[in-house]
Amino acid sequence: MMEAAATSGAYWLRLIVGLVIVLIFSQLNALFLVWLERKVAGHIQVRLGPMEVGPHGLLQTIVDGIKLVGKELITPARADRKLFVIAPVLVFMPVLVAFLVLPFGPELIIRDMNVGLLLIFAFSTFSVLAILVGGWASNNKYALLGAIRSVAQAVAYEIPLLLSVMSVVLMVNSFRFSELVMAQQRVWFVFLQPVAALIYFICATAETNRAPFDIPEAESELVAGFHTEYSGMRFGLFFLAEYTNMFIVCAVATSLFFGGWHGPFGFSFKIPGVVWFLAKTYVLLFVLMWFRWTFPRVRFDQLMNFSWKVLIPLSMLNLVITALVLKLV
Amino acid sequence: MAAKDDALRRIQELLGPGALTADPDFRAGVSYTVACPKESLLAVMEIFNACGFYLESLTGLDFQDTLEFVYHMNAYEPRARMAVRVLCPHDGEMPSVSGVFASALWQEREAWEFYGVRFSGHPDLRRLLLPDDADFYPLRKDFGTVHAYRKREEVYG
Amino acid sequence: MAEQFPQPAQQQLYSLNLGPQHPSTHGVLRVLLTLDGEYILEADPIIGYGHRGHEKMGENRTYLQFMPNASRMDYLSGLLYNHGFCLAVEKLAGIEPPERAKYIRVICAELNRISSHLLWFGTFLMDLGAFTPFLYCFDDRENILDILDRVSGSRLTYSYCRFGGVARDVDDVFIEQTRAFIKRLRSRWPDYHNLVTKNVIFIHRVRDVGIIDKDLARRFGVTGPNLRAAGVAFDMRKVEPYEVYDRFDFEIPTGSKGDALDRYRVRLEEMEQSCRIIEQALDQMPDGPYRQERVRLKVKPPRGEVYFAFESARGQTAYYLVSDGSPYPYRVHVRVPSFGNLHCLTEVLKETLVADAIAILGSIDIVVPEIDR
Repeated sequence: MMEAAATSGAYWLRLIVGLVIVLIFSQLNALFLVWLERKVAGHIQVRLGPMEVGPHGLLQTIVDGIKLVGKELITPARADRKLFVIAPVLVFMPVLVAFLVLPFGPELIIRDMNVGLLLIFAFSTFSVLAILVGGWASNNKYALLGAIRSVAQAVAYEIPLLLSVMSVVLMVNSFRFSELVMAQQRVWFVFLQPVAALIYFICATAETNRAPFDIPEAESELVAGFHTEYSGMRFGLFFLAEYTNMFIVCAVATSLFFGGWHGPFGFSFKIPGVVWFLAKTYVLLFVLMWFRWTFPRVRFDQLMNFSWKVLIPLSMLNLVITALVLKLV
Repeated sequence: MAAKDDALRRIQELLGPGALTADPDFRAGVSYTVACPKESLLAVMEIFNACGFYLESLTGLDFQDTLEFVYHMNAYEPRARMAVRVLCPHDGEMPSVSGVFASALWQEREAWEFYGVRFSGHPDLRRLLLPDDADFYPLRKDFGTVHAYRKREEVYG
Repeated sequence: MAEQFPQPAQQQLYSLNLGPQHPSTHGVLRVLLTLDGEYILEADPIIGYGHRGHEKMGENRTYLQFMPNASRMDYLSGLLYNHGFCLAVEKLAGIEPPERAKYIRVICAELNRISSHLLWFGTFLMDLGAFTPFLYCFDDRENILDILDRVSGSRLTYSYCRFGGVARDVDDVFIEQTRAFIKRLRSRWPDYHNLVTKNVIFIHRVRDVGIIDKDLARRFGVTGPNLRAAGVAFDMRKVEPYEVYDRFDFEIPTGSKGDALDRYRVRLEEMEQSCRIIEQALDQMPDGPYRQERVRLKVKPPRGEVYFAFESARGQTAYYLVSDGSPYPYRVHVRVPSFGNLHCLTEVLKETLVADAIAILGSIDIVVPEIDR
């Protein structure tokens, strides 16, 4: 009886509308982020970035997408065909799943699952698998090296990422996004857990393969890393998936540390929560882009050392201290 | 000064004073020229190595009557440059000095591929700048367009 | 072809080609690496992709016709090579240029040196993953290119020097622009130092990486900033001064360890010293003729030879000219610094990581076309 009520028409309608909106939003967002990256890169580098196509180059990404779609899909001669084709699809699917649980606004969570946060982290590992599959299937030494590095990096930085997130979860006692955000009504967690916030942001940069941790796609070292052999829209999918991934980690950072849909100190100034949420997420995205165009790349062994010898001990210490403080206070 | 004088002294001991030609005004960029026979080349190079010189450049010259290889040695001092000139017939072989100066590994590869003279004792004599299947020696004066092909005395007197 | 590739002795070794098409090899260079995981066991640079036969061309052209060839060997310090060639021929033929011409040539040569170092700086950082300094350097470099373009007619490969002087005189606008440029460049040093030199990530990438010590440098004939970073204060402008370099007060920056960080610091400091030279030259430059009129176009130097060595942006370059008394040289040999600088990598790259290989390649500042000639 309960199941019948749970699967009523309204439920399905809400789910389907949500999925459609998610698909449209994630694609538009990825397109927008590509344009934003090029503009930010341009202005940091004392130049303008795209200006020709559309006002201030806004249509540049769409035109580039059309160009990519029109390109020949080359499969290397001795590549593993099935795996090669599946990898770009595999990298995109999990990021779409993450959109289902993100708290865009007080009533704008498609499925406010009680393990929402865990779902995102569980599915993000799929993209690492997809990178490995893509690098292996390409039958190319450079791609393989890039894929191996990417997996090592992802595994190493996943641990401090989860540990820092656990500190926040300990404080709120829940993985549910709405509760995590509601707990920040007065004070944002970035003030209560600055170390965790910093560690999370560093690990997020590493998880999305962004500079200064972009060894797997280092252009000047391994040609183009794991997506060397991919052309046309397959490359486009890897590319868009990276930007969508960036959005997700920044959205999670906003929800966990920067108050989600709340305004500062709970005052929303009549601006809807979704606007606050998106504004904060885009500010964090801008910071991610700022990193890329300012810092040189970290060498691979230094990257691994940094995670295993610095971040993990720090985040573990942070977790223990959080637990102690919560127990005593 | 010290390195140059030391080297000079030891070369004079080895080859005799007649082998050295001085150029006190440094007009040609070289303070002393050593006319070295092929057999003594390795010994001369070892003297230079012991005195702290480096092999600056190895040039080949093609004359009608002979080939000539000029080794320019320099030390980290003013006006220390010395040229070691070795004559070699067109179909002869040269001793390799790559055991003494590592830079000779590539310099001799280049000299071989452009002049066709093998350097015996070179561990890895293969082409450096030309394609692997080149069967010609470009800097010889019987290859390509050549403006003048002279005897050695016409140039050096 | 396959038998030419080194066959790995153990199962874990494999060969990897760095290049010839690779975003960070500075020219068409191929380095055959034998890898054990991430470690390089052997590195064999394979060159010759850009061999154009300049030395053979030298025997078939008059001395003046060889001028464009000279600047195309190392296109980043084209004017320096031009200048060096002029000096070599002037020495061979006994031509003495007027004073003003010497100063003009020195100023333009030092401007070229700065532009070459700026480009190296940008590309080195791009290899390390920082894309932005590249554009900042090119912004500065555009000023130099505009100044030299105005005076010589070309931006990259110049044929500005003539035997006995320069092709055209410089005017007050040139002097003004050069002074303004020096001022602007000096205001940039704090930016470069704050963003790059003090950046922890950068320092960790280049400190103790690719150490070229004095003995290695001597055995391979390494010269220029690479040698000076190892601690040997050997700069042709001070050791065998040519033109009017003995009238200027400037220092030779040296390092101590010979790692990539020292090479980086030496080149940055050299740019500042070049600024000093230019300022002094601008102050000291006399009026007068810019070219010796009595030099024929088809210079016929007397029989003999000359070996003229000078300091180009990459190290010690030398022209070895053999003349048989005709307007055509009997032999033109160019001793290029990148030859030895690249050659030493066969030893330096052993036992390093692949990621370091890129950093080391970038830090030694080679231009492959001059190796290939």
